[in-house]
Amino acid sequence: MSKAELVQLAAAAGLPRLSDKHLDQLQKSLASARELADKLPKDLHWSEELSLTFRLPRPAVDMPKSEPQG
Amino acid sequence: MSDLAYLSIAKAAQRLRAGKLSPVAYVEALLDRIGRLDARFHAFIRTTPDLAMAAARQAERDIAAGNWRGPLHGIPFALKDIIDWSGLPTTAHSKVLADNVAVSDAVVSQRLRDAGAIMMGKLATHEFAIGGPSFDLPWPPAVNPWGGNHFPGGSSSGSGVALALGMVPAALGTDTGGSVRNPASMCSIVGMKPTYGLVSRRGVFPLANSLDHVGPMTRDVRDNALLLQVLAGHDGDDPGSAQVPIPDYAAGLEAGVEGLRIGLVRHFYTEDCDAHPEQIAALDQAAELLRSLGAGVRDLRLAPLEQYATATRIIIRCEAFAIHRQWLAMRPDDYGDLARQRILDGATVSAADYIDALRLRARLTRQTLAAFADIDVALTASNMDPTCPIEDAEACARLYPRQARQPFNITGQPALAMPAGFTRDGLPLSLQLIGHPFQEAMVYRVAEAYERATAWSERHPPGL
Repeated sequence: MSKAELVQLAAAAGLPRLSDKHLDQLQKSLASARELADKLPKDLHWSEELSLTFRLPRPAVDMPKSEPQG
Repeated sequence: MSDLAYLSIAKAAQRLRAGKLSPVAYVEALLDRIGRLDARFHAFIRTTPDLAMAAARQAERDIAAGNWRGPLHGIPFALKDIIDWSGLPTTAHSKVLADNVAVSDAVVSQRLRDAGAIMMGKLATHEFAIGGPSFDLPWPPAVNPWGGNHFPGGSSSGSGVALALGMVPAALGTDTGGSVRNPASMCSIVGMKPTYGLVSRRGVFPLANSLDHVGPMTRDVRDNALLLQVLAGHDGDDPGSAQVPIPDYAAGLEAGVEGLRIGLVRHFYTEDCDAHPEQIAALDQAAELLRSLGAGVRDLRLAPLEQYATATRIIIRCEAFAIHRQWLAMRPDDYGDLARQRILDGATVSAADYIDALRLRARLTRQTLAAFADIDVALTASNMDPTCPIEDAEACARLYPRQARQPFNITGQPALAMPAGFTRDGLPLSLQLIGHPFQEAMVYRVAEAYERATAWSERHPPGL
């Protein structure tokens, strides 16, 4: 993939500030993602999904949620 | 070496309760040991001696007044630095969060505080529990004392090293693809990944929410059960938290393995992955030992390791990228190279592949639990190889995927890694025991029987 295409891919992923070094890493990621996708079984069916459990809301507990300040 | 360095939680608790050991003297001895060894092994990002001494003095007063709170009262511990402790920085070993001060305790921290345990500091981790070992971060990576200058595994690297060095008798780690059990295996300690949902993750920086677990790390099995006892329990504000009864995890420890059914998942380390010969021998000897103790041991075949690894890797990539995307967009240079690479990996996975990975996870979970129907506990490898020198980046990278821990992040089952001997060169070997969901007590029972018969847990790194 050309550098221009990588920049476009990064922008589409919400990453507008990647340097050339980071774009090289993104190139490696792309190859790795393809390799992993090829290992997925081909017979997976839409009926196979994780079960999700929904709960009624509970009263708030006394411990506040922390929000990391990056 | 102080005889307090390798004192177990169980024995320390007896002495503390009886007034034969002062919490203040205990904490002073361990702080001294940390001060003497940590410049070389880097287990801690920061110690908290003032907090520890104040808590030790309070514990001493409380115990003397007859207000003993339980086996963790007066016991020193440390936290992987992605776990919040109110008023202390939670850095995730990253420049990105270097100034992030927690405004409240994580639920697990609060539980340890309530139990009277004594906070000693924050421990090294791979950056954001995903990128390591790295030498381009604000703090150096933790170093394994086994071998002298070796990779301790990760991502709960500081937790494994601090325990192996006798700096603390208890530590917490987290496990998304094996990060409690990997350092447990490489540092010759005991690490439990409990059932998904048994221990709250609130106040713990996530890696991949659907696979994240908090786990107890100790030097022996009984201590691990005692620590899990304090950590386990429902949290209504953790969306993954389970509402299940919490048993007494130490109650059945001495019941032995007579009549238990153990499944040996040998194909993981002999067919799916070609493990180191000494690791294979250690596992086969463990199976034979359990058989000699009265367990029925038979082969158990699960799906190939690669299927579990594929699902795990895709899920971690996507969920981690979703967490880090905004910081990665604004401050990509504040990440170390390894963490940035692994988080960027999630930018290139399609939504359809992520959904397929979830479908594969559902299939593997169904198949695995069905295979467990006729056994009580499974035995298999944790690591495939002994550790390697930490500065050999290629060797560290080669070891990373050679493991059999990810299957049980996928299924959420409890899985414990523990010592299983040493190579001829003196490096730790390990094994992994896996149970049915929420059957941690059964895993501990088998682990305790093996530990008693071998005493590997009594060995410590030489010369320290």
